[in-house]
Amino acid sequence: MRRLLLAVLCVGAPRVGLAQERGDAPLTIVAPAAPGGGWDQLARAMQHTLETEGIARPVLVENIPGAAGTIGLARFVSGRAGDPRSLLVTGLVMVGGIAQNATPVRLEAATPVARLVGEYEAIAVAAASPLKSLGDLLQLLERDVGAVSWGGGSAGGTDQMLVDLVAQARGLDARRTSYVAFAGGGEARGALLGGQVTAGVSGVGELAELAARGLVRILAVSAPARLPGIDAPTLRESGVDVVLVNWRGVMAPPGLRAADRRRLEEEILRMTRTPTWQDELRRRGWQDMTMGADAFGRYLVAEVNRVDRLAQARRGEGAGASRSLPRLPLVLAAVLVVALIAGRRQAPGRISTPQWRPVALIIGAMLVNLLLSERAGFVVGATVLFAATAFAFGERRVSRLLPIAGVFALATFLLFRGALGVALPIGSWWTGVAG
Amino acid sequence: MNLLDGLLIALQPMHLLWALAGAALGTAVGVLPGVGPAMTVALLLPATFGLEPTSGMILLAGIYYGAMYGGSTTSILFNIPGESATIVTAIEGHAMTRSGRAGTALATAAVGSFVAGTIGTLLIATVGPTLAQLALRMGPAEQFALILLAFAMVTTVLGDQPWLGLASLALGLLIGAVGIDVQSGEARLTFGVPQLLDGIDIIVVAVAFFAVSESLYLAWTGDAAPAALGQGGAVKLTREGWKRSIPAWLRGTALGFPLGAIPAGGAELPTLLSYALEKRLSRHPDEWTPNGPGAIEGVAGPEAANNASAAGTLVPMLALGIPTTATAAVLLVALQQYGLQPGPLLFQNAGDLVWALLASLVVGNAMLLVLNLPLVHWWTRLASIRPAYLHAGILVLATVGTWTLHRSMVDLAVLASLGTLGFIWRVLGCPSVPVVIGAMLGPLAEQHLQRALVVANGDWGQVLRRPGTATLTALALAVAAGALVVRARAARRPA
Repeated sequence: MRRLLLAVLCVGAPRVGLAQERGDAPLTIVAPAAPGGGWDQLARAMQHTLETEGIARPVLVENIPGAAGTIGLARFVSGRAGDPRSLLVTGLVMVGGIAQNATPVRLEAATPVARLVGEYEAIAVAAASPLKSLGDLLQLLERDVGAVSWGGGSAGGTDQMLVDLVAQARGLDARRTSYVAFAGGGEARGALLGGQVTAGVSGVGELAELAARGLVRILAVSAPARLPGIDAPTLRESGVDVVLVNWRGVMAPPGLRAADRRRLEEEILRMTRTPTWQDELRRRGWQDMTMGADAFGRYLVAEVNRVDRLAQARRGEGAGASRSLPRLPLVLAAVLVVALIAGRRQAPGRISTPQWRPVALIIGAMLVNLLLSERAGFVVGATVLFAATAFAFGERRVSRLLPIAGVFALATFLLFRGALGVALPIGSWWTGVAG
Repeated sequence: MNLLDGLLIALQPMHLLWALAGAALGTAVGVLPGVGPAMTVALLLPATFGLEPTSGMILLAGIYYGAMYGGSTTSILFNIPGESATIVTAIEGHAMTRSGRAGTALATAAVGSFVAGTIGTLLIATVGPTLAQLALRMGPAEQFALILLAFAMVTTVLGDQPWLGLASLALGLLIGAVGIDVQSGEARLTFGVPQLLDGIDIIVVAVAFFAVSESLYLAWTGDAAPAALGQGGAVKLTREGWKRSIPAWLRGTALGFPLGAIPAGGAELPTLLSYALEKRLSRHPDEWTPNGPGAIEGVAGPEAANNASAAGTLVPMLALGIPTTATAAVLLVALQQYGLQPGPLLFQNAGDLVWALLASLVVGNAMLLVLNLPLVHWWTRLASIRPAYLHAGILVLATVGTWTLHRSMVDLAVLASLGTLGFIWRVLGCPSVPVVIGAMLGPLAEQHLQRALVVANGDWGQVLRRPGTATLTALALAVAAGALVVRARAARRPA
């Protein structure tokens, strides 16, 4: 029981106290994804190693999820320019997201620090599939590109990149491939096992697990040489000159002084040499692919170019079956309008005495809360929202209302921040930090 | 070793304490707005590390069930669902709260969760491996047909004014169409806002159209103090409550468990199908929302379906090692820490651990019931706060829950806009439930259809000729036609 309490306390314990001891600003690692995913795990493994080995302390992890990491990137580049103590986790998937969505903030805006880990891709078929080798699959593909369905992760991600690269390497039109995008790796593997798709594309680790249980057969891996423990040839050996690694690394904000950049690089490279880091890699099944800032910078340029070309090739008319339903919103809007007009007669009778003022008050309070939250912080915004709503619902004793609103907002703030580590906004007016 | 041995171990006093601690922790965290089971389990997972496997698994099982029940509690009391699986619960559940029967709603949810969870766990042990193989045959085409069936069933929840119901459904589908199209990667209706690329979270839609718009609407009508809200209601289920709940629980379980086992299944479809089914079968059609005081079957069925489908997702996770929901992914990480290696041979190879896990699930589930039935009384008191403060609190918690999802100001702006839109929608006399259902089912339907078309290389005929698809589509058409006939007969009958 004591251990449980300790563990719970550790989860919620504020980490700020340590900062004063060393007289150093905390190092913030921005994970541009929700907790639990690959980027978040990398950020937390770094946090653990850097703190345990005493390289940097304290280390904070901030999650800014959304749109393949491009939202985190935009916030990082604009909000932390020149900040010498912050890092952004990035990877091939972010390069893909930028190319796919043609986002304004590109990876080149940030400063490369180091590539850290990576995983090769694998192509597999269900154990019951008649396809025995990559050659069999390629033969099928060359007979009719569209007839081979590939199951993998989200559109424009690493898995689809591999499919496109394989098709292009064989001189086929990548736009005609039948790539089935699944929201999560679990769904994609389910479709592969159930024989819903011809072949599955995923990270080697996940497919190797299924192969070890005799559920799938790995046809090829995207590594430059055979991988230990995996009984499959490389793509190159099978006549497809493609190497692809789903890498992850860290970048610093733009506008950094050379000395600050060198310090970050030195800290990170020192981290990769510690036993704690090697232990993290083993435990999480990651391949060490450490690369210093200069080499990583050159590597990034090459990767960005390659992915941009792939995204361009995928665009335009003549794409295969993988087409969205572009007129869907229009059709829906038309149905909406027609149904509203047709149903107008059915609408029930009006309320006798509608009260517009309290409604306006509450909507106004929601807007004020929206405008205030980032600047004045959650507590102020929520107090306004609470007080205005209670007032709108007829509570007129302001002297009683305001303290209740304030206490409720503060208690909610402390509960979420303290016990869960969910950062409700403090407010830039008080902290002096933008964003 | 079998389930009985596992139960004997799990029933040791120390392990029961762990289960109680887990259920208490899980409920406490899961009840916070915006914090669903996946997040709760992830947050509390470190607490289970370092324990010996059985204690760890029992603690985890308690947390898991506690978190799921916590989400239902906020749905029923405040109309703020914590995860997509409890959105449907909010429809009748909150109506019951407003008519003074929060206690009954919470009780049928708790007992229903227990019944469904226990049956589900027993089914994992008996039919798990076979079902895993069967579920894999449900490809994108079959899943699309399943959603067609859901749409056909949903015609019952469109309300008395079918045109306005249709308009609401179209609005929901439109909201659901916002964001990157999963298959092609093209952005739709995002108006250049990058935060909209991932679409609008269904939780934000539900909280906006259920909680925010209702607070605004009540302020508008000046009808904010329904006397019944002050009571909370009887805690225990009456004899009639039991009689009406039991069949709903069993039907919910029958729907939830197999559908949960399908990869890419999730709990949205089973809860919704259970809701529509209960409404069709109900002998008390006058009790259902929006006109009635809330029907107990509408809480009992979906809650059972939710828990049974959660047990169902454990089937592919244990038998194949593939996690099909966010919660399952977190659980899988935890179980692997205890040395449990999922796979087709799981039940033969790692027998002891599996039985210990299944026993833990049963015990954790039972402990939740022990913990929560007495708590129901306290929860209902929360609902009896004065309306001014209740609605103020609901609005603040709605913003907190929305922020917690992605920590994005854009989400808050969407919440305020959709809340206002939802209010206007009600003023126009349109129902809000179909909006949320459209936003929930639309993206699923589209994704599955697109996947099916890609697999078939664009050939519609090939999609529809699959036996499963053909059967389900025919069933959907029959249900829709049946609904039309019933409606036409009702219209011909003199008023």
